[in-house]
Amino acid sequence: MGREAVATQDRDLFARARQIVRKPQFWFGLAVLAPLIIWYVWFAFSPIARAFWMAVVEYKILQPDQSPFVGLRHFRMLFAYKLFWISIRNTLIYAAVFYAGMVPLALFISACLTSVTRGRNFYQFVIFLPVVVSLVAISLLFKMLMNPQLGQINQILRALGIPGSQFLTSHESALYSVIGVDIWKALGFYVVILTAGMLNIPEEMYDAAKVDGAGIWQRFWRVTLPLLGHTLTLISVLIVMHGLQVFTQVVVMPSQPGGPGNATYVMNLLVYNEAFTNLRFGFATATAFTLFVFVFLITVAQLRLLRPSWSY
Amino acid sequence: MQSNDAARTANYRTATVLEQLRVTGVHLILLAIAFTSVMPFVWMFFGSFKTYVELTSGESLAPQVWTLDNYRAIIFRANFPQAFWNSTLVAVVVTLSVLLTSSSSAYVFAKYRFWGKEQLFVVILSTMMVPFAVVLVPLYVTIADIGLSNKLGGVIVTVLFSTFGIFLMRQFLEGIPSDLIDAGRIDGASEWWIFSRIIIPLSTAPMAALAVFTFLFNWDNFLWPLVVLTSPQTQTLPLVLAGLRSLYWERYDMWAAGSMLTVAPVMLLYALAQKQFIRGITMTGLKA
Repeated sequence: MGREAVATQDRDLFARARQIVRKPQFWFGLAVLAPLIIWYVWFAFSPIARAFWMAVVEYKILQPDQSPFVGLRHFRMLFAYKLFWISIRNTLIYAAVFYAGMVPLALFISACLTSVTRGRNFYQFVIFLPVVVSLVAISLLFKMLMNPQLGQINQILRALGIPGSQFLTSHESALYSVIGVDIWKALGFYVVILTAGMLNIPEEMYDAAKVDGAGIWQRFWRVTLPLLGHTLTLISVLIVMHGLQVFTQVVVMPSQPGGPGNATYVMNLLVYNEAFTNLRFGFATATAFTLFVFVFLITVAQLRLLRPSWSY
Repeated sequence: MQSNDAARTANYRTATVLEQLRVTGVHLILLAIAFTSVMPFVWMFFGSFKTYVELTSGESLAPQVWTLDNYRAIIFRANFPQAFWNSTLVAVVVTLSVLLTSSSSAYVFAKYRFWGKEQLFVVILSTMMVPFAVVLVPLYVTIADIGLSNKLGGVIVTVLFSTFGIFLMRQFLEGIPSDLIDAGRIDGASEWWIFSRIIIPLSTAPMAALAVFTFLFNWDNFLWPLVVLTSPQTQTLPLVLAGLRSLYWERYDMWAAGSMLTVAPVMLLYALAQKQFIRGITMTGLKA
């Protein structure tokens, strides 16, 4: 950068602008980015910004401009609201049990899949099948199969001499029944990711472990699991996000949404009901923000805790 | 010496036998899991052809009397054809849009240099962190403001762009050598030509995966259509299907038939494009 550059800065800028505008890339980029930015501002950023505003005003549906500012009142109301605590409890139980059931099961099946070569594609094809099928159809299907009197699951259990369960109709088992169905449906998704991750681990690692005399069990704990690294972190984050944001199943499966009683009442359902049944838009959005806090904190914690310290 | 050899062979034999036993065991486990994955659908398939009495009392899996009454009732009374058309329209339009918007913006984000590019990309990606519940109400207000509540457009317009799609395509396009693009530019090709004749043909694999996922997600989506689409004429399949619970109270035969109608197109798509499904997941799983 010489003195002349500074002296002719203005003219330079002008010339550069003209040069940029003349480039074909400029017009193509503009044609792509302008709709992108407009859409994101309109349907992503401004709704998020409006959510912040809605949470702290008493939203008037007919005259939004005249919604009075109420500060943190919605949050104070929330903390005094029994259903809010019930929904938090259920949501956290849901995510925790879903996680605790899914991770070992998916790891086990993926380990099985990686250890066979013949038929692997076939097994994957079948295990993945429930993933592609509509959640509403699956919910209806299991509502039928889990009928305490007529349902096939209880019939099979009875035939095996195991006492059946009330499943969705009882307060104690409803939430776990919904989680069970969710694990059954989503399993294939995580199995496919994990299997790909496991197949990506270099074969030499296993050969080295074998030479050192490590058995199957040790190879799994000392080679597979640590070397899965990023894949494991990714599915952990996805599984928890999935669990915290459950909605469709608790609407379709129980006899009434969130039922029986409030046994399957989760946070997304609270947001939906407060907004579109009770028409309390501000209150609903404040509820959604507490869900956001959970999702955010748990995700960040996982990324910190599960970050692999090395790679290969 | 000879006995040593014999012992070694014996050892080797037991090892192979054990290995074979292990492989057989693994296959048995996998078969059991595969069976569990597929059995409920088999039951649903047969159930949809049974009469109500047989479905709720019969012991055999296959129907003794095959009947199409359930399908007939569903199709003529529950608004299924309309819902089928609505779902198809939404899923196809959104998939085409997402393919175009994701690939073109990914191309720009991967291969162009401009001021604020990385910042813009990060801001766009950050929207993936926000749970949908947060924007549920404000997005509904946005849709209502432009007169799209209770219209299919209200569902379509909110998913014309896909953050996940842009991310996926950018990951892929960054791996394509820029020389190809420069060669095109030197030959005087227009940007659109380079995009449509070089970029798109090179990225058919991730685009097929993205198409399959977008179609599936929109075919199955429940929460947002439930909020936007309130009248039977505008509803998509999952909404009409969920409505069967009250329309046909505890009528499992109807539920099974309705589920079959919803599930059949997706199963067909899955059978045809199995590779894309699996590859799509693996691609995102390994690169994220």
